[in-house]
Amino acid sequence: MKRIYFNSLGTVTTLALAVMVLSTSCTKDFEDINTNKKKVVAIGPSELPFLFSKAQSVATINQGNYQVAQNLFADQYAQYYACVATYFPSDRNVIRMDWVGAAFNPIYTEVVPQLQTLFANTDPSSPEYALSNVIWVLAFSKVTDYWGPIPYFQAGTPGSSVPYDAQELIYDDFFNRLTAAIEVLKANTGAKPFGSADLIYGGDVSKWLKFTNTLRLRLALRISKADPARAQAEAEAAVADGVMMKSPDDDALIKRSVKGDDGNGLSIMSDWNEFRMSASMESYLKGYEDPRLPVYFLPVGATQANPAGNGQYNGLRNGLSSTQLTQTVNLATNNSHVGARWTSPAFGGVGNHNETPQNVLESAEAYFLRAEGKLLNWNMGSESAKELYEAGITNSLAQWGISAADVVSSYISSTKTPIAPGDFLNSPPVATIPVSWAADEATQLQQIATQKWLALFPDGMEAWADFRRSRYLKLYPVANTDNTDIKNTTTEYIRRIPFLENETIVNGPAVEEAKKLLGGPDKVTTPLWWDKN
Amino acid sequence: MKSTIAFSCLFLCMLGSVFAQNARTVTGKVTSLKDKSGIPGVSVVVKGSSQAVVSNADGVFSINLPQTRTVLEISSVGFTTQQVTVGPSQTSISVSLEENSEQMGEVVVTALGITREAKTLVYAAQTVKPATLTEVRDPNNVLNSLTGKVANAVITQGSGGPGSGARIVMRGNRSIQGSNNALIVVDGVPITNGTNSTATSDFGSVQSSDGASNINPDDIESMTVLRGASAAALYGSQAGNGVIVITTKKGQKGKLSVFLNSGIAFEKPFALPRFQNKYGQGNGGTRQDTLTSGESWGAAMNGESAINHLGESTTYSSQPDNVKDFFRTGTTLNNSIGISGGSDKMQTYLSYANSAIQGIVPKNNLMRHTVNLRLSNQISSKFSTDAKVTYISQDIDNRPRTGEENAPVIDIYQIPRNVPLATAKQYETVEGGIPTPTAWPSTLSSIYQNPYWVINRTAINETRDRVIGFLSAKYQIAPWLDVTGRANLDRVFDRTETQYSAGTILWASQAGGYYQRSTITTTQKWFDLILNGQNDITNDLTIGYHVGGIFQDNRFDQLDAIANGLNITNKFSIDYATSPRIEGTAESQQTQSVFGQLNLSFKDFLFLDASLRNDWTSPLPTPYSFQYPSVGISAIISDMVRLPTLFSFLKASVNYAEVGNGGRPAIRNSTYTYAQGAGSGFLTRDATLPIPGLKPEIVKNIEVNLDAKFLANRLGLTLSFYKSNSTNQLLRIGLPTATGYSDKYINAGDIRNTGFEVVVNGTPVQNDQFTWDLTLNFATNKNKIIRLSEDLKETQLAGGYGRSATPQVKEGGSYGDLIGLGWARSTKGGYQVTAAGIPVATTDRIYLGNFNPKSTLGFSNSFTYGRFGLRILIDGRIGGTMVSGTEMNLAFSGIPEATGDYREAGSLNLNGQDADGNPISATTTAQDFWQIASGKRYGVAEFFSYDMTNFRVRELSFGYDIPTKADNSKFIKKARISFVARNLFWLYRGSSKLDIPMIGTRKMWFDPDMSLGNGNFQGIEYGALPSTRTLGANLQLTF
Repeated sequence: MKRIYFNSLGTVTTLALAVMVLSTSCTKDFEDINTNKKKVVAIGPSELPFLFSKAQSVATINQGNYQVAQNLFADQYAQYYACVATYFPSDRNVIRMDWVGAAFNPIYTEVVPQLQTLFANTDPSSPEYALSNVIWVLAFSKVTDYWGPIPYFQAGTPGSSVPYDAQELIYDDFFNRLTAAIEVLKANTGAKPFGSADLIYGGDVSKWLKFTNTLRLRLALRISKADPARAQAEAEAAVADGVMMKSPDDDALIKRSVKGDDGNGLSIMSDWNEFRMSASMESYLKGYEDPRLPVYFLPVGATQANPAGNGQYNGLRNGLSSTQLTQTVNLATNNSHVGARWTSPAFGGVGNHNETPQNVLESAEAYFLRAEGKLLNWNMGSESAKELYEAGITNSLAQWGISAADVVSSYISSTKTPIAPGDFLNSPPVATIPVSWAADEATQLQQIATQKWLALFPDGMEAWADFRRSRYLKLYPVANTDNTDIKNTTTEYIRRIPFLENETIVNGPAVEEAKKLLGGPDKVTTPLWWDKN
Repeated sequence: MKSTIAFSCLFLCMLGSVFAQNARTVTGKVTSLKDKSGIPGVSVVVKGSSQAVVSNADGVFSINLPQTRTVLEISSVGFTTQQVTVGPSQTSISVSLEENSEQMGEVVVTALGITREAKTLVYAAQTVKPATLTEVRDPNNVLNSLTGKVANAVITQGSGGPGSGARIVMRGNRSIQGSNNALIVVDGVPITNGTNSTATSDFGSVQSSDGASNINPDDIESMTVLRGASAAALYGSQAGNGVIVITTKKGQKGKLSVFLNSGIAFEKPFALPRFQNKYGQGNGGTRQDTLTSGESWGAAMNGESAINHLGESTTYSSQPDNVKDFFRTGTTLNNSIGISGGSDKMQTYLSYANSAIQGIVPKNNLMRHTVNLRLSNQISSKFSTDAKVTYISQDIDNRPRTGEENAPVIDIYQIPRNVPLATAKQYETVEGGIPTPTAWPSTLSSIYQNPYWVINRTAINETRDRVIGFLSAKYQIAPWLDVTGRANLDRVFDRTETQYSAGTILWASQAGGYYQRSTITTTQKWFDLILNGQNDITNDLTIGYHVGGIFQDNRFDQLDAIANGLNITNKFSIDYATSPRIEGTAESQQTQSVFGQLNLSFKDFLFLDASLRNDWTSPLPTPYSFQYPSVGISAIISDMVRLPTLFSFLKASVNYAEVGNGGRPAIRNSTYTYAQGAGSGFLTRDATLPIPGLKPEIVKNIEVNLDAKFLANRLGLTLSFYKSNSTNQLLRIGLPTATGYSDKYINAGDIRNTGFEVVVNGTPVQNDQFTWDLTLNFATNKNKIIRLSEDLKETQLAGGYGRSATPQVKEGGSYGDLIGLGWARSTKGGYQVTAAGIPVATTDRIYLGNFNPKSTLGFSNSFTYGRFGLRILIDGRIGGTMVSGTEMNLAFSGIPEATGDYREAGSLNLNGQDADGNPISATTTAQDFWQIASGKRYGVAEFFSYDMTNFRVRELSFGYDIPTKADNSKFIKKARISFVARNLFWLYRGSSKLDIPMIGTRKMWFDPDMSLGNGNFQGIEYGALPSTRTLGANLQLTF
């Protein structure tokens, strides 16, 4: 009995010890167990191109963000389209803050970390570094042109708050970065940075050089009323270094793919049937008998079986009320959908519409920017303003495959003017100017702005920024406003996006400081620094 | 096995023949007073003689009674002995014995499968009789059958049809980003009970199966619910949410029994929206019965001839049943067979169960097979083993999606009030073998579509194979010491196939259609080794102890093959993908633990429990270690002091316990995720800032219990008070995205739950023929968010910004406060309207209520009269708010009953005020009013908030024990047939909270038990499946 007792005691001790030893010595695999094998933990040279592709994809507004970052706001405020869905209030000037965050947050969380990793892992004199700088400026120019002051100089620094910076200082940094990039690119014309991972030019440095100069020129015109001297200097330097000259060769379009939900955002959302051609677009395109009309929009009732639909193109005014939208004439089925390259076959579009490359920056814009610069008496090259204006139109038509000389020349010399669209509100013609170059400078500026607006399609972000900056373009007043900050829609319009609700929660003190940089209340009616109208 | 049957038969024959020769034979049956079951092995002695027999397995005996004797003495261990006088001409008697707790204490199975006498427990434990789970079944999930039976448990049912995961929360919610579901332990081992997909917002989801829905209720031998974390200090991890301890059946020695349970049940929707049936398609009172309008704001329907949206001639008339008739009668067939038998050395239990369920949504079917084999071996006098293999094969077809996108429920609710179902059934045209959806008059062609297209041309099919292997071995080292080891391997293979035919709105965005196949493998390995001992230190003091170690390893691996676009239209296989995409996620965690538990017992009336556990878990930073203790004391006052005779038992206990949770895997380091895209794809840095210094979460609990029995145990009362604080919660909080991160993890917070529970058991009537038993449980829980963190004062639960309402957690508030837009009030407190008399919504979201009930109640009554038994369970929830997103959505389209009034211009005067409180007398119409209130998809939640207080007859069963020959000569030993019902009718239900002038309040039409999913997104109903009323029959046979 006693022996059993001792044996048992021995067993107890042994077991207890065994358990202890077992449990404490086996944690050596814990780090391995706690590592997700499907993720990348360390970044080396072979990972860098994938970071650059990502930054490009998001900076140019990718599929997941397109509707809520661009289409419901800039595209409507530029009046490329009018909203036909009753449940979206943005066309009636009400901004849903949880949606518009898509134009802000992804730039910081999906562009900044990738670019900062690239900055940290490449030499400042390398073309990879230079291209990263260009994408940085492209991405942030879209953000600051929505909000004005934004977190910029300390973006990407972990902490509980990130300060906002004045738009003036941000633009200064844009030009500094672009200038630095141009110097590096000029010295590396033979390099192939990122190769096929560069989704815009496949690593063609000479094209990137033209792109960078055109972007610099665009930003220079943006500040032409806020800082004319700097604007002129930057613009002239850009033109001297060589901007885009020829469409489609020089044009920047980013590849999109159905793989990984990386399709063309406009094409994806066209299936949702929530927007149609605006009355402004209809008035101009139909009035000018513009050959781009059938490219930009589809005839009413187009289907796969009947791509010609009823042969008519109809649009509707921006800002119709829910009740107005339920009227037969305003239904989606009775208005023109966006063009075939962005729509699915069911609407008369093309089969691979989701892979339609997305417009980023094109040659036509470079000519319109130079034409306006010429009227400001800047040194924009040897061509006259008229020649630049007409070259802009020629390049825009070429961009969409319209190159027949007679079609181009008859359009350029056309004296036709916008028409009354015959819409639900019996709207008059949106403007009275023709295409053919006018004699007076005021009309010329309006013509340049109008043709640039037509050429920028479907880039509503740039079109809305240019509209606010110049105010030369004429658009219809928004039919109804549900935003009490805008009472008179003929004189008041959305000029910026207010600071995000979520920012006031998580970055509150910084937002309070930012309000002081605005020069007005934190409202949609407060103009940005470069908006001197 | 064969010999056992032969032996049993022989034995039965002998019984019959031996006693047949006597002149006066009295047969009888001894049953337990408590549950009416026959008591085997009862000693029946003729008083004053040596003649005695023992009752058989069913409590039946037969005894020869000499003419001079009339009294039988009937006794059994655990029961009060009774003397029965047999009348002169009586030949059969029936005797009910009363249980005697003094003699045999109730035994419960606690943590790690350790069996304890209930009276020694220092914490609250409640047992649930398996019979109440198998007779009236919930076809979807066994957890749903616990509703009303467990004090302070709030059970919400998944809305994904048969087999969907349920949510069971005990003593309130305590985790913000983790699970609040109780831990489920089967045979000492926690089971994998995750849900692969659950809704995290009112956009909806597909609610998939949880682990609990795989449990075959027929295999359950006992179920103990440990409500407090205290009881579960030995389980670590999610034991803070309470534990449900399930023990499954084992083979029994010496006899072979066959159990058969067959059930059939029919289900019908129980809570459908109430519709207006006066006005049809159109707008502003004008008929538009084509595709122009899907809304029902048209003219009154008077049977006019009309052209429908298909271009057919029809009449414009009311279709009051066009929603009701969409749902079919669900049917459930359950069949299970269990065979138990064995020798002294080896016992076997083998069961097979089969469930065939047709859900109420057409084409939604479930088929489940469960095979369970258990072998228990006594290898030597000291060494025994117990092994079990369970295999579950489950197929679910056409699981319905909740929410509004491709969701059949919201799609059928939207049907215009004049469109007959027969018209809706013309949902497609087929050309060249390719179906194309026909036009459908829905309000938003980009979101809604014909529900018949959804059920016929889209599918979400789930297949699950689950294998659980269990082995336990016990070695009796000494009479007072044994060592037990267990190994449990649980592997779940899930395969989900998603198919969207070309033409499906939203989901088939590429040519040819969409197909996805997901393969998910979930594995849990569990090994433990425990040394159990018990010694008498003195005559009065006994010490018991458990020392052991546990190794737990969990792996999750998911692989998705996605074909967005198919080269051959509607060929649903990854082979046909236009551009196949493969994605995967993986997660693993390992925890190693050592623990010790000490139980001291003094004079069998004073007990002290203490435990300490140390975990090493892989998600934590080195040294990966943390520990948590528990201590409790209980005293049986009735054994310590002399109490008035009214008391037959009185016990008090108090305990304190901590439970730790080691956090989440792989969040300590920064990682980059690869995704396909243009070019060769992308690398993206993950947007959550890692937490290198991750700390374990700790739940601290204190609990006081009082247990009393009165009137010779006829009445029992249990009272529990508790307080728990969840601290160091792992929270994910928003960062300014300008930091490059959208959010970060922090350990912070303090969430307090306090409450009390009352459980009353009683037997108001008890005599030979009639017994009435009742059980009442009532509980109340109060939750308070004491603190979140310096950086975070409020956070949204689950998916963030809701379209109807959003559940949130805010410092100073309660878990699950719902916020949403409200009806703005004027400075004088009146309802604010515009100059046109239309309501004005608040600009900020307001507090609407909280999604948790304040109190819960369950009241069960069982009546037994002879062979008849009737059981009624009534349960209720008091308090709590739920927002009906469904009604919000439908109100925009003039579909709900309330939208049928005040359609004439000038008929609706809300008597509102402007912002400054000046009265506005302008009138409006129902359409303008409801469209502003609803906004269709983004609405003013206050108009659709309901008080979810409700009481209902939850379960009803009426059973009859079919007479079987008392002499056991028949093959069938026991037979019971019962008619059962679930969700029979409402006794009371709450109303909409806002009393709208002229319109008033509306009675809650939906069932708040149905949730969008079993995660923390609760309190909002949006396109959830209607709950069902079940009627059925059940047959139990024992051979």
